[in-house]
Amino acid sequence: MAITKSKRYINIIDTTLRNGEQTAGVVFSKHEKIRIAKMLDEIGIPEIEIGTPSLGAAEREIIKEIVKDNFNSKLFVYCEAEPENIEYAVQCGAENVIINISTSDIHLKEKYKKNKTWVINKLKETIRVARQNNLNFIVSAEDATRTDLGFLLKLISIAKKKGAYRFRICDTVSKFDPFRTFLYISTISNATSFPLEVYNHNDFGMATANGLAAIRGGAANLVVSVGGLGEGTGNAAMEEIVMALRYLENIELGIETSKFREVAEYVARASARAIPVWKAIVGTNVFAHESGIHADGVLKNPKNYEVFNPSEVGLTRQLVVGKHSGSHTILHKFKEFDIELTDKQANEILALARAMSIDLKRPLFDKELMYIYNEYTKKNKSRKEQ
Amino acid sequence: MREIDLLTEFSKKAGTEIDPKNIKIDDTTLRDGEQTAGVVFANDEKIYIAKMLDKIGVHQIEAGIPTMGGDEKEAIHKIASLGLNCSVLGWNRAVKSDIDASVECGVDAVAISISSSDIHIEQKLRKSREWVLESVKTSVDYAKSFNLYVSVNAEDASRSDMEFLLQFARTARDVGADRLRYCDTLGILDPFETFMRVKNIIDIIGIDIEMHTHNDFGMAIANAIAGIKAGAIYVNTTINGLGERAGNAAFEELIMALKYIEGVDLGFNTTLFRAQSEYVARASGRILPTWKPIVGSNLFVYESESKASGILSNPETYELFNENDVGLERKVILGKYSGVNTITYKLGTLGIKISRKEAEELAEIIRDKTVSSKRALFDSEIIDTYKSYKGKAGKNKETKRKVRDGNNKK
Repeated sequence: MAITKSKRYINIIDTTLRNGEQTAGVVFSKHEKIRIAKMLDEIGIPEIEIGTPSLGAAEREIIKEIVKDNFNSKLFVYCEAEPENIEYAVQCGAENVIINISTSDIHLKEKYKKNKTWVINKLKETIRVARQNNLNFIVSAEDATRTDLGFLLKLISIAKKKGAYRFRICDTVSKFDPFRTFLYISTISNATSFPLEVYNHNDFGMATANGLAAIRGGAANLVVSVGGLGEGTGNAAMEEIVMALRYLENIELGIETSKFREVAEYVARASARAIPVWKAIVGTNVFAHESGIHADGVLKNPKNYEVFNPSEVGLTRQLVVGKHSGSHTILHKFKEFDIELTDKQANEILALARAMSIDLKRPLFDKELMYIYNEYTKKNKSRKEQ
Repeated sequence: MREIDLLTEFSKKAGTEIDPKNIKIDDTTLRDGEQTAGVVFANDEKIYIAKMLDKIGVHQIEAGIPTMGGDEKEAIHKIASLGLNCSVLGWNRAVKSDIDASVECGVDAVAISISSSDIHIEQKLRKSREWVLESVKTSVDYAKSFNLYVSVNAEDASRSDMEFLLQFARTARDVGADRLRYCDTLGILDPFETFMRVKNIIDIIGIDIEMHTHNDFGMAIANAIAGIKAGAIYVNTTINGLGERAGNAAFEELIMALKYIEGVDLGFNTTLFRAQSEYVARASGRILPTWKPIVGSNLFVYESESKASGILSNPETYELFNENDVGLERKVILGKYSGVNTITYKLGTLGIKISRKEAEELAEIIRDKTVSSKRALFDSEIIDTYKSYKGKAGKNKETKRKVRDGNNKK
């Protein structure tokens, strides 16, 4: 690669249990929340957002239980800027909080119906209570990418002065592409030299790319969620960020990626949102090869069409026989069944398999391939006998 | 390019204006989309998809692989003779017989594909770089003899040695190819690398570039846009991002990102997006995730108090475009994260007016209900919850009155 990437420490904070659950229609049970927190801890996610204490007694019970556990991950709870919400966090035994407040003119005008001074005061008031309770806190600016830059810098300087852990910049409406993300984050990073964290949404399919652009721009922390679960189109997917950092940016987070499929599957079930078979990194189809060109390439050397080995994310490679298959796939498939075909046989069976697959509008099951083979050999035999 | 120079160049491109006339979409749902393991379109489906793409306004359709023969060839032939406004392209290996098949289908454009990376040349083709360049020459030359528009595809371009890729591009240009398709076959580039490499080819060779990106690390769209910022003109998309492994750059995402983030309006009929995506989802047997960017059914559904409050006051608080723009519907549902505003609004739509105090009390009841049923509530359940709440509240009042009356009697 032409670009040298300096080694630096990059942190991720997973919000599956907070913004993930906030997805319209998604609810985790207590048991599921605790299980997901444990899984994230076990695979080595450095920080986890575990919930929203102001949501009521039931949510606070769950948070309390997770906090009590001996996690390696640093645990955060989420509070809209309001002193009362910090009290709720304290009741749960939380030590780290995220204090969120909208900062864009449109949100101030249309959602809060307040002005900038109100935002500053509300933030200061909330921070005061957090400090009184010895909580670590992140200040989170919602809709930061549509916020007046001067105002945002002012809020960052307040956060810095009051001892915030870091500052979160939310691209709430997916306003940015990687170019703007880079410019915006590097501008802010240069102007404040305060630790930044970036929160992306996937409205135009660019959450992961924007995350990487933010890192190049100087942010060292990214907000992610398993499978990208989150409101609307969701967030930057944890598994995409971790693998992209490893393979594209040469930054190793030391996370146990071989459990990715398992974690993704658990979250998919708990959220009742099946993982699409083509989901980047963890979809079952990502290592399935059908087309003659690709399957042939993979058989000769997996590196022809794979960047990493499927087992690295807990998946397996599959060869699928369908309309686009070539004779190499057939030869290989039948070898798996302990049948050695000649090239001529493979070509003839391929023609039959393709026709059948077009007819069925899907690839063939292994059984169907065997039927084709049996009929094919029978016909040939009877032809010979005649 | 040194990193510092790249980053300067890169940030300069944030917010630069792009002329919509310079951007063209070549959709490959019917070729790379169908090449996805497990996906087969019926011929009628292919024709329907082609017509829909044309109606929406796409510039070129990659209709399939003529050399596969049979049904595939027939479908391409039919699409080419539909009299569409867009160009119809056939996909070929760099082999004369493939091009003959394309000519027989009556397409006006061809993609001629050959690997340019050493790993593919050595391990897959088992040939040499010289052989590759020679194949480009002869096949482009041959295609040009039929007056076809030619896109030369550098397969696995992103793992190719840059010097050789430049030689490859120069060969294609000199022999008369109309454009070079830069294939990030494995989806291994980030937007920075994409930008730098594409810019390099354009600066040095000066051939039209088409971006073919894959989503293996979730960056297909971002990389396509990085290519455009570097000067690429064409983008190869698929509806829903359908394509091998993690898929390609999704047509609908790219069009909307261009329109709403880059300010490039291609004038496509976006209101058909949901219908189109649904059709392809069914034909490919790959259900649309409810959270799919642009066309997912859950995108304009609001549950959380924070978002719903904003949206109800002004949709622009959380939306860059609205549901009608892509053929979706807006909805408010009640769940664990709903609060006073959301509940008041939702009950209002069901014909029930409530006070703030009632909304506060209901919020708690509704939260408990959604947690125990592990989903948002149906409308009938919401009405039911309200009725039993009113019933209880009414009873409380009545008991109070009875007690008071009793006291009075004493």
